[in-house]
Amino acid sequence: MKKRIFALSLVLAMALALFTGCGSQSAPAPSAEPSAEPEQTAPAQENPRAKTNEANIGIAQDFDSLDPDYMTAAGTKEILFNMFEGLVKPTSDGEIVPAVASEIVKSDDGLSYAFTLREGVKFHNGDPVEMQDLVYSVERRWTGDDTAAQLAALSVIEAVEVEGNVLTIRLSEPSNEFLAAVMNAYIIPADYTEQETAPVGTGPYKFVSRAVQDSLVLERFDDYWGTPGKLDKVTFKVLEGAEGLVLGLQSGALDLVAHLSSDQTVQLDSGAFKIEEGSMNLVQALYLNNAEKPFDDVRVRQALCYAVDKQAVIDLAFDGYGIPLGTSMFPSFSKYYDESLTDYYTLNLEKAKELLTEAGYPDGFEMTITVPSNYTPHVNTATVLVELLREAGIKATVQPVDWGTWLEDVYGNRNFQSTITGLTSDNMTARKLLERFGSEVGNNFTNYSNVEYDETLAKALRATDDAEQTELYRALERNLTENAANVYLQDMADLVAVRSGLEGLTFYPIYVLDISTLSWAK
Amino acid sequence: MSTALQYTLKRLGLLLVTMLLVSFLTFLAFELVSGDPARTMLGTEATPQQLTALRHELGLDRPFLLRYLSWLAGFFSGNLGTSYSYRQPVWGLIAGKLELTLWLSLMSFVLIAVISIPLGIFSYRFTGGFANWPRTALNQLCMAVPPFFTGILFSWCFGIVLRVFTPGDFPGLREDFAASLRHLFFGAICLSIPRIAMTVRMLRSTVISEMNKAYVRTAISRGNDRRTVLTRHVLKNSMVSVVTFLGQTLAELVGAGIVVEQVLGIPGLGRFLVTSISHRDYPVVQTIVVILGFWVVLAGTAADLVNQAIDPRLRLSTAELGGAGS
Amino acid sequence: MKKRLNSYLTVGLIITGLMLLITVIGTFWTPYVPTAMKYGRFQPPSWAHLFGTDNFGRDIFSRVLKGTGTTLAIALSTVSIGAVIGTLIGAVTGYFGGIVDDVLMRLNDALTAFPSFLLALLVVSLVGPGKKYSVVIALGLVFIPSFARVMRTEFAALRNRNYVTGARLMGASSGRILFVHLLPNTVRVLLPAFTIGFNNAVLAEASMSFLGIGVTPPDASLGYMLSEAQSMLKAGPWYALCTGLTIVLLVFGVGLIGEGLQAQEREVD
Repeated sequence: MKKRIFALSLVLAMALALFTGCGSQSAPAPSAEPSAEPEQTAPAQENPRAKTNEANIGIAQDFDSLDPDYMTAAGTKEILFNMFEGLVKPTSDGEIVPAVASEIVKSDDGLSYAFTLREGVKFHNGDPVEMQDLVYSVERRWTGDDTAAQLAALSVIEAVEVEGNVLTIRLSEPSNEFLAAVMNAYIIPADYTEQETAPVGTGPYKFVSRAVQDSLVLERFDDYWGTPGKLDKVTFKVLEGAEGLVLGLQSGALDLVAHLSSDQTVQLDSGAFKIEEGSMNLVQALYLNNAEKPFDDVRVRQALCYAVDKQAVIDLAFDGYGIPLGTSMFPSFSKYYDESLTDYYTLNLEKAKELLTEAGYPDGFEMTITVPSNYTPHVNTATVLVELLREAGIKATVQPVDWGTWLEDVYGNRNFQSTITGLTSDNMTARKLLERFGSEVGNNFTNYSNVEYDETLAKALRATDDAEQTELYRALERNLTENAANVYLQDMADLVAVRSGLEGLTFYPIYVLDISTLSWAK
Repeated sequence: MSTALQYTLKRLGLLLVTMLLVSFLTFLAFELVSGDPARTMLGTEATPQQLTALRHELGLDRPFLLRYLSWLAGFFSGNLGTSYSYRQPVWGLIAGKLELTLWLSLMSFVLIAVISIPLGIFSYRFTGGFANWPRTALNQLCMAVPPFFTGILFSWCFGIVLRVFTPGDFPGLREDFAASLRHLFFGAICLSIPRIAMTVRMLRSTVISEMNKAYVRTAISRGNDRRTVLTRHVLKNSMVSVVTFLGQTLAELVGAGIVVEQVLGIPGLGRFLVTSISHRDYPVVQTIVVILGFWVVLAGTAADLVNQAIDPRLRLSTAELGGAGS
Repeated sequence: MKKRLNSYLTVGLIITGLMLLITVIGTFWTPYVPTAMKYGRFQPPSWAHLFGTDNFGRDIFSRVLKGTGTTLAIALSTVSIGAVIGTLIGAVTGYFGGIVDDVLMRLNDALTAFPSFLLALLVVSLVGPGKKYSVVIALGLVFIPSFARVMRTEFAALRNRNYVTGARLMGASSGRILFVHLLPNTVRVLLPAFTIGFNNAVLAEASMSFLGIGVTPPDASLGYMLSEAQSMLKAGPWYALCTGLTIVLLVFGVGLIGEGLQAQEREVD
């Protein structure tokens, strides 16, 4: 007995000692200096995956559907980008270039596009891509039987015609966004029904296996028409929970994890990893329900804008990483992005209180910020905002809810006061970021309603001239800022931890992770 | 009818009732909880038409009871349904995870039973004097350690410093059985430490209060060997509470494993359950919950059988209960 | 009855008293505003900040002072709900047996199998979001089955004892037998179950916070803080250690009281 207890306490003491050992070693780490590593871990050469030319990438959320027409989660699209391609595809510079089509001819009136099928493009199953596959892929997302698969952006299509190796798509009205929309209609084999369990596309990587909530394995597709991938095999590991990914990196199980917070990256040994910084390309804001009291009053909304110091939010919740924004647009869309709006409201508590008094809230008011609890960055932002708003006499409380509830109550039923989320554009056009604030638009969950905005929006969507459209988009941005539709905060930083030796990470202006450029240094 | 057969039938009946009850409660819960599976499937870009079409396709626009009955009909004909989020048959998604969770739970349970029962008995014999304090302190300390805290601790010490296993890289039972078991073993330790302490304490205090009962005092004063009294009578009587407690522990282990699975990156059932609830993936949740119900009844039955073997008085009362119930 | 307190009870009471004192102090005074974010990120413990600061630059000591009260309140009310309802169910089912037993125990099994995360979601939906007590109700429900099961076995074992039969023959009502004769005899099981339950409640609240349903971030419970701290183990290990140790101390104190009470009871026997 004594021995048992002794052994048990010894184990416990050892564990504690080790733990405090870990703790004291790391005490100077917060500065994250690349200091000398005392007994350091796995450099590139030791990594067995560098030898076999493989890589493991950690992701925080499981894939929803592997069928490209059903996937809706941003995290799924981000990865499946490597397996699928449309007639055209995006580049890291934000351009749209031919992919499965080798040539695109746009008619002068902008009402028809002719896509020439690239020669020698093969599906992952070895079959050559044929015209019927193109028709099937586009039609399925345009008017297919399955409503869930339809892409709203393709509703401008009037007809799809085939002549030889040319696919002609006629539009009912000219659209500057058409190419970007057709980019998301991935080319898949006609009438192939097993996309869900054995997806087949034309991208540089092909599907090998998948275990739900565990992993997805991809392999280089050797018959790829373009620049082939460099790594032989890439495994995506699903690790939910903030500490799992960090532990995975530290223990050597993972080589790359994107979308980390600075709190997470400081835990990594700077000798074993480099931290690459991109931006998430989203508009993070305190989104206000413009139909709900007191946010139906523009003065109250403006008061909030004056009360919130964006830089303080970025400093406190994101350790300084992030680009402050003043409207519903981020810098990657440089053509549309109006930087001058960022400092339209600067911290001014006097002004905020003045506006609140004018609006009839001299003593401030109480408000609730509903946040999806699975998104730590948004929860942290909310926590900081509560603090900042307190200074202006506004008593805010954070209300974490689970994702299903958030989608239904906040996004679907608009039954909320304020929320924090990040809005993105998944197809390289600025339209998505602005269109949603039209008063009649279905996904305008903030209930923003402004006559001038609606008129400008209608004009912008009709405009065929690019310069004119750009001007109108900028006017929309200004409208959102001046009327303080929401408290715009920032474009969040995308911190990517990459194991030393793994090179070639490229950032895109849309939410994708291109694995075909990654390789191990020789 | 023989008692054994009667007992079996009764237990099967209980199983059926519990599973029906738990599945119905789950269905009811989803009816009341806000959140729409169609919306979680289609995400933020869904149009109202798409939502309506999908709801119809999934049968979500049918009345509540009808949906429950059709699920039930499917269940009894061996069709567990198709996951909403993954668009794949539920059983295929769950089977592998169930296996892992069973391994984790059973390993923890074996650890708990094998360590705590002897330790509890010895802990009783180890009473009095100054040894009491460290024993009690250690026991209380072990109870106070949250499994997920131990999990983090183990990940750091054994995963990152000592590299005995790799947190975040679960090998998979098929690929590397030994490594998988090693990985699960750490989870099992995290899960079992506080429960071992609880069981030890439970056993000890039951033995002590039993030893103070009149019959024991009489037996000892009549000159019976203290040790014989302990093993023959006291332990037997004390075991009833302990076995019940262990049965309860076994039932709870699956649920308690969720956080440990999360921390150590074990792709088990618990983690899947939480995400599925969050995504309102009813068919998956429904199936997992029924499995859990099955598990709970199984654990209860096991505890019951063991107790009856130990203490025949209980067998009598069960027979009575059976008579009253039928 | 002996007046002298045994040593477990003494130490347990001292620790718990200390925690209560902390709770009381935390309610009225903290060295810094617990939610203020102006003391620098991840400052290690110092005289100015006894427990250091967290990722937002908040003073952890002040937060612990405040959070202890929240945790204590949640855990105590949770276990009380579980213990009272669980004992009632256990008493009725164990003593009477029969159909009542069957029905209640099936419900009990169903509740054990029912995922607590879903239960919490349900309670939050029913009582409306933003109510602090919703987490207490949800956790309280979670704790009923374990109490009910343990108490049922106890009552079932006791009901055929001679003194019970005696009381029954003397015409005592079932209620009287249950609560006057039997209940005091179940204390030996109830007490440890209660202290274990308290422990579990603290931890369950922590995992509930971890899963996103619980106390809202600004007035965090210790459990919430610990779940927050685990992702910052390297940048600020003191965060996890200080909150973790406070939890351990809290549970330890209550555990010792349980231990002491039991020992006391033995001496009385």
